Amino acid sequence: MHPPAGPAASPGPAAPPAGAELLRWQWQEVQVPCLVAAWILVASLAKIVFHLSRKVTSVVPESCLLILLGLGLGGIVLAVAKKAKYQLEPNMFFLFLLPPIVLDSGYFMPSRLFFDNIGAILTYAVVGTLWNSFTTGTALWGLHQAGLMDPGVEAGLMDFLLFGSLISAVDPVAVLAVFEEVHVNETLFIIVFGESLLNDAVTVVLYKVFNSFVELGPAHIHATDYVKGVASFFLVSLGGTAVGLLFAFLLALITRFTKRVRIIEPLFVFLLAYVAYLAAEMVSLSAILAVTFCGICCKKYVEANISQKSRTTVKYTMKTLASSSETIIFMFLGMSAVDTSKWAWDTALVLGTLLFILLFRAVGVVLQTYVLNRFRLIPLDRIDQVVMSYGGLRGAVAFALVILLDRDKVKAKDYFVATTIVVVFFTVIVQGLTIKPLVTWLKVKRSDHHKPTLNEELHEHAFDHILAAVEDIVGHHGYHYWRDKWEQFDKKYLSQLLMRKSAYRLRDEIWDVYYKLNIRDAISFVDQGGHVLSAAKLALPSMPSRTSMSESSVTNLLRESGSGACLDLQVIDTVRSRRDKEDAAMHHVLRGSLYKPRRRYKASYSRHFISPDKQERQDKEIFRQNMKRRLETFKSTKHNICSSKSKARLKEKGRKKKDISLTSDAPNGRTHRGVPWQEAAPVLVMVSSEEEESDSSETEREDDEGIVFIARATDEVLQGKATPGSLDVCPSPCIIPPSPTLAEKELPWKGDQADLAVYVSSETTKIVPVDMQKAWNQSISSLESIASPPGIETGPQHRRFACPVLEEQPQSASQAMPEQISCFQFPSHVSKSGRSLSDSSPDGVEQQELQPLMASEEQGRALPPAEPRRLMFSRASHI
Amino acid sequence: MASGAGSASRERPDGARTSVPARQGLLQRSPLLCCLCLVLCSKENFDSIPDLEFNPIRAKIVHAFFDKRNLRQESSGLADEINFEDFLTIMSYFRPIEMNMDEEQLDRFRKEKLKFLFHMYDSDHDGKITLQEYRNVVEELLSGNPHLEKESARSIADGAMMEAASICVGQMGPDQVYEGITFEDFLKMWQGIDIETKMHVRFLNMETIAHCY
Repeated sequence: MHPPAGPAASPGPAAPPAGAELLRWQWQEVQVPCLVAAWILVASLAKIVFHLSRKVTSVVPESCLLILLGLGLGGIVLAVAKKAKYQLEPNMFFLFLLPPIVLDSGYFMPSRLFFDNIGAILTYAVVGTLWNSFTTGTALWGLHQAGLMDPGVEAGLMDFLLFGSLISAVDPVAVLAVFEEVHVNETLFIIVFGESLLNDAVTVVLYKVFNSFVELGPAHIHATDYVKGVASFFLVSLGGTAVGLLFAFLLALITRFTKRVRIIEPLFVFLLAYVAYLAAEMVSLSAILAVTFCGICCKKYVEANISQKSRTTVKYTMKTLASSSETIIFMFLGMSAVDTSKWAWDTALVLGTLLFILLFRAVGVVLQTYVLNRFRLIPLDRIDQVVMSYGGLRGAVAFALVILLDRDKVKAKDYFVATTIVVVFFTVIVQGLTIKPLVTWLKVKRSDHHKPTLNEELHEHAFDHILAAVEDIVGHHGYHYWRDKWEQFDKKYLSQLLMRKSAYRLRDEIWDVYYKLNIRDAISFVDQGGHVLSAAKLALPSMPSRTSMSESSVTNLLRESGSGACLDLQVIDTVRSRRDKEDAAMHHVLRGSLYKPRRRYKASYSRHFISPDKQERQDKEIFRQNMKRRLETFKSTKHNICSSKSKARLKEKGRKKKDISLTSDAPNGRTHRGVPWQEAAPVLVMVSSEEEESDSSETEREDDEGIVFIARATDEVLQGKATPGSLDVCPSPCIIPPSPTLAEKELPWKGDQADLAVYVSSETTKIVPVDMQKAWNQSISSLESIASPPGIETGPQHRRFACPVLEEQPQSASQAMPEQISCFQFPSHVSKSGRSLSDSSPDGVEQQELQPLMASEEQGRALPPAEPRRLMFSRASHI
Repeated sequence: MASGAGSASRERPDGARTSVPARQGLLQRSPLLCCLCLVLCSKENFDSIPDLEFNPIRAKIVHAFFDKRNLRQESSGLADEINFEDFLTIMSYFRPIEMNMDEEQLDRFRKEKLKFLFHMYDSDHDGKITLQEYRNVVEELLSGNPHLEKESARSIADGAMMEAASICVGQMGPDQVYEGITFEDFLKMWQGIDIETKMHVRFLNMETIAHCY
């Protein structure tokens, strides 16, 4: 396609004598691609139109609508152009339209299910198709012999057998189109669909053999030709499969080395599969089998090798291609039917064919099922058989094959074409329309779409091993035995050869399911986060179910197992009480788990700048956190402990911070923990502006790095009330909608509290369930009792000193400390460090102070300074 | 199976009274062979099966054969040896459903199969699959993959347990303790999954008889 050479042509002296030609009509050059694009466009638009009405598509399968549309369009074309154009060309069909559909179905074939039922599928595909071909062909010939047909139908036995072979094959395209909308159970679907894919080999062979017989003429057929026919069946089917396997192997091997060229990974999948198709077609092996097996077999390795994005690309491209091919096929089928020049109608032939294919398929299915049920573990019952016989749809493959017949050799071609069209239309439209009501009426077991659960996956694996073991024990080499052997072989050699090292290491189905579940959780987290921030609503149906148990007693956990390991070096020289360790560990845990919300927040904050890679990393981050959480989940099963723990944890968070600030001011500050606040609180009671809270939190985030981990976390916690992040951090079993009143009631001085306090209190009440009330009371009383402890000298003084300063600079430049921060965990820090300028809510501070107090009161332990230096340092730098 | 037993016993009617050296020799043979020949079969027989070697949950499976609960005996605990009847009892857990079963039979059938599985998981016989037991199972299941660390196996088990708890108990109260999966919970977890379509072994050909000679 050349660019239109319009303006360039005119000025030059070399312009053609025709003179100033501004534009040239170059239809000839672009005709073909243009027509292709136009038809695809028409088909796609038609699809949109069909799906505008849900009612129509729920009753009428799309394939029917497309065929009808094709009929209409064909009529228009016929009326305009006076001759039938744009037919379904067999070449186009086999080379371009069919491969995407087959590849799609092969690649996304549930391989486990497929191989579990391979026996039944093969039986139906091979024996069933043979049976159908021969019986239909012979019966039609009998009809012809009986003189019921028009004498114009010049056909012998061979012709009828040829016709029988092409008409009897169940068509994958039609079956897929119809069965996808009728959600029958998986076993039934895989049997019908697998049959339609695999019978291609039989069809191709029969078609070719009979075609050559017809061409040779009955007189010249020798016995060896029959033998050749049988041999060619094995050659074609096994050869096609071998080609498919070969290319699957190549494909897997190639994708192993695409680490640096991720962008073309999807291309390899399509290219190699297509080359497999062409290669098989070239040597006249079964191309459908080749692509099907290529798809089935390469999937496992390819999926492991290519990147997540490539996986998505492959998936969507494949679906798009297959879907548009299917659309075009059906539309063109409809259009081709209009061409009456190919038609030659014979009622007896048409009716006879219809009757025979239905009858013989039903008989064949019943007979085969009878035999198969003696071997199958799950017998196919009568209803299944009805659906299977009725679901034998014929489609475009038959049509393309019949068009390919040579009119000179096969005299009755026109009759066959007409009959094929009628049969295809009948099966696709009538059976397609009625199969859904039939399935409903017969109460066929539908497929149940339940989400994969970890337990199910685990049990299934256990089953596989158990069954294999039982077969081993009785020394019976059955299906499970061989599958087990295959899996061992695959694990030992194939996977290692075909998978990346990194992918191979983590290759395990259980792990995969676990990973997926985690991702799902993480995504729901993030999704939820967006909502929660705006709607302040935290009750999502899915979260609690998963997180309710994850009310992890982190402290408990850490106490049990290596809390010491988490300590960082700076704390080493401080006195290490148990509490101490716990606090430090706490810090780490919080930092670790709060990382996520921050990341998420950041991401949404600068959404436009984020590269997808970052997003991915973030996903991983969340995933990892999630894993950690799950890991912690069951450390202790005592849930009453948990709840109190989580409450304590939050408090600890606050307290620790405070401790830090305290100790930083007065290294001996162990004794007077919490006390200063009692004093500080009144001093600070003043400004509390709610407006700041949202934006200031962000600005804050940007400039202060030293204390990042808590600051963000806390404001997240507060802001969202239950952002997923906070949920994650302290998933509370009973998520009570914020009820600020509880805390307010508990706190005597709540009276003069601004709205801010509500945030805190709501948070605390939420995390700390009912039994907290006592704690509140206790803590309050304790506060009062410790009015003047020994430690006042340092902390409170400093406080007093700092506070006035703060007051003098209200709401300054950065508006920095959002109330949430101050009010939650580190009020002291904030107020003391001069930079924060916070007019932060006193109530919040107060409360924060209370929390640690309460915690310490409750647990009656001394609070050690937990890693003071670091914080000091950061503060200093800010100052 | 029945015909196999018949032919075997015909072949060696004095099987139960074989001499000690003969039994030593039998230890090297398959448990099926032992049982068919009316010799008591012990764990060593199972351990000598070469194909079983790579099975990650081999220990659990062999254990199940000696679990008295599976042998329809009143007491719990482990049997030291099993005879042919016991062997058949165990095998009967793996028989496929028959076409003419009614609802009630199917239900009982299903429960039996699940019970077998449950007993396999519940290694300490207390009627509950505790977290620790579950973890052991998962670890064994994953032991085939040397690259997966124990840690991840544990986290998977934890996740599965959590899932089980949420399925069985629903929303947990703060004080609630989920101690383990009871058999009722186990049934609940299996709702909607057709176990009868999975837990089967088909013994069609009797080539195993050949091993007897």
